[in-house]
Amino acid sequence: MSIAYLLVLLGLGVFGLAVWALFWAVDDGQYSDLEREGTRILDEE
Amino acid sequence: MSARAALHARWSLDEGAHEHVVFVAEGIRCAGCARSIERAVRTLPEVDAVHVNSVTARVSVDWRGGGGTDLGGILAAVEGAGFKPVPLAGEAAESEYQREHRASLKRFGLAALGMMQAMMYLGALYGASDIDASMTRLMGLAGMIIVTPVLFYSGMPFLKGAWRDITGRRLGMDVPVAAALLIAWAPSVVNTFRGTGEIYFDSVAMFIFFLTAGRFIEMSVRHRSLSTGEALGRSLPASVSRLMAGGATEKIDVRELAPGDRFLVPKGAVVAVDARIDAAGDVRERVALLDEALLTGESAAVTRREGELIRGGSVNLGAPLEFVAVKALGQSTLASIVALLERAQVARPGIARTADRVASWFAFSILVLAVVVAGLWMVVDPSRAFVAVLAVLVVTCPCALSLATPAALAAATLRLARLGVLVTRADAVERLARVDTVVFDKTGTLTATHTEIAQVRVFGAEHRERLLAIAAALERASDHPIAAAFTAHAEGATVAHSVREEAGLGLEGEVAGHVWRLGTRGFVAALARSQNVAPLVPADVDDSAVFLGDAAGLAAAFEIRAPLRGDAREAVAELRRQGLRIVIASGDSHAAVAYVAKALGVPHSQARGRLTPNDKLALVAELQASGRRVFMVGDGINDGPVLASADVSCAPGEGSAVAQSAADLLLLHEGLRALPRAVATSRTTLRVIRQNLGWSFAYNLAAVPLAALGFVSPWAAALGMSLSSLGVVLNARRIALGGHAS
Repeated sequence: MSIAYLLVLLGLGVFGLAVWALFWAVDDGQYSDLEREGTRILDEE
Repeated sequence: MSARAALHARWSLDEGAHEHVVFVAEGIRCAGCARSIERAVRTLPEVDAVHVNSVTARVSVDWRGGGGTDLGGILAAVEGAGFKPVPLAGEAAESEYQREHRASLKRFGLAALGMMQAMMYLGALYGASDIDASMTRLMGLAGMIIVTPVLFYSGMPFLKGAWRDITGRRLGMDVPVAAALLIAWAPSVVNTFRGTGEIYFDSVAMFIFFLTAGRFIEMSVRHRSLSTGEALGRSLPASVSRLMAGGATEKIDVRELAPGDRFLVPKGAVVAVDARIDAAGDVRERVALLDEALLTGESAAVTRREGELIRGGSVNLGAPLEFVAVKALGQSTLASIVALLERAQVARPGIARTADRVASWFAFSILVLAVVVAGLWMVVDPSRAFVAVLAVLVVTCPCALSLATPAALAAATLRLARLGVLVTRADAVERLARVDTVVFDKTGTLTATHTEIAQVRVFGAEHRERLLAIAAALERASDHPIAAAFTAHAEGATVAHSVREEAGLGLEGEVAGHVWRLGTRGFVAALARSQNVAPLVPADVDDSAVFLGDAAGLAAAFEIRAPLRGDAREAVAELRRQGLRIVIASGDSHAAVAYVAKALGVPHSQARGRLTPNDKLALVAELQASGRRVFMVGDGINDGPVLASADVSCAPGEGSAVAQSAADLLLLHEGLRALPRAVATSRTTLRVIRQNLGWSFAYNLAAVPLAALGFVSPWAAALGMSLSSLGVVLNARRIALGGHAS
């Protein structure tokens, strides 16, 4: 059962990481323009 | 301050070894525009990074200072790419729109992640009996660590809203919502530390997730309409290539473009003003492939043929094309629509106001009910009082109720835009659904803009064709709108000499050595009288006709008419099938109105001619006094007051008509068929709103007694609340899909 304690803590860590990643992505403007970035790969240079 | 320093101050440049600037580039419309700016700036030396956001039109550039590149060069490069750089005003640096979008997205995202993770931990406790107390406690603690930030970050707008309501001594829906959140959360925290008792963190997370989802949808809809207006204003190019007589082009400010100017629109660029395809120019293409998404919201390509009006704001998707400007920028459709949209966004729909009033009353009832339930359970079984009160508060959350109207109106606005009808006032949809009379202002709405000769009455011995040719020869030099009707009848051999025009009366000229007059009855007859000949004056011809005569008297009368628009008959028939009474109220001659009425099958009594704008106003007032709800369709140029006085009004979205009209709806395509479809859509919308309100009330009525009696656990209440909200949103989606309207 003791592995469960570790898993609970690990889950909390992953949750924190996911929230941090989301907030960082939103603040970085990654959700503000879903169109331009999607076509960037098609640029020639 | 040097010129350079002044420039840098105006553009709020960060100076240093690495320089950085952010500004708006007007004219960015799509990812392609963003790409061309990035390309243009990146070719400059010492530029480290350039980033263009195609939604907010922000351009951000980083470069190494002190080298060959300076701010002026960057701005010139952006201008060279065809966009107009504009400095950001301090407040606009981070737009309100962007702040709200980001905050809302973070709240929603946190709630979603939190709900998933809380379920993971606390779901394990449901029905589990072999978990030891310390593990239960750990799960509770983990849930608390996750849900507490969810409550105070994602749920903050509701807590703040409730606080505002309480301190303002008002009652809104935020009050019971916040009460439910806090009374579920607080005891759960206490129970977690005590190690016994129920914990409801998962229900709190689920509740907040659905609340923020609702807010997020609502915000997206609002931003969509807001950004339409903003995008419309920004979408115009700053300059256009005007074609010179010799075939060369020159770049001019779009504001300098005058009606009649020919200009070139490259592929992917925006047609700046209302225009037509240039038929005279060296064009291989006579068909334009356009994207009218800015005007209609529909991003599919549209074909417009030679002669059709192309609205400013359309994007040329096909080959580069030459256009002739029809209107200057200020009078173009786009400029007018931007102004109208701004007005539309200020007004709140009546039905939404009603919903707010209902919500306030509803919130009060819930709180009273919660207190009563708490009191009764305290007497019967104090241990179950808490669960019952919590279930009542959650189950009655009027998410469904508050979503019912906005979701339906948003879907209806979208659907109407696809049909080519732009809603400029928020409550127009609701009022359109209730109309029972349609009043057409004949000019320009039921009939085409060009004229044709409908009938020729010959009074003398001359042949009909000969008379038509003479009239055409006289009219050739004239730019009166009627002249176009005669063009088709011109004969090369028949030429008029020494033609002079008497303003408002007609034309006089010599054809084959013979003097003719063409114009009003009196003007033409005067020629014969001047020769002491009693002119032949037929009594049964309407005064609206154009007469032709010589010294011997009147020779012919031409009835000039604007033909019916191709889809007028079908549209009117469809409107009548929908149970609407059709009335024609026109300033035109009785004969012209009678002709249109007959062609459309409108009873004679419902077709009025020779009405002044005041007469029309009186007619609408009269109809309204007799209890009818009037839908006025007019071209709006002189009829602003009439359009405003009608219950709901519609105008063709053409230039000056739009600018001066007080219309609630704009027809963006020139099709009248959109009218019956719009009526059908609005009726569907009203029905859906009623269904939604009915459904949410029924759900609450059914669920409240169960919750009050203690049969519903908090998580089941949160689930039921969510499902009822989802049902309402999905029901509203039916309008956008538009099963009934097509």
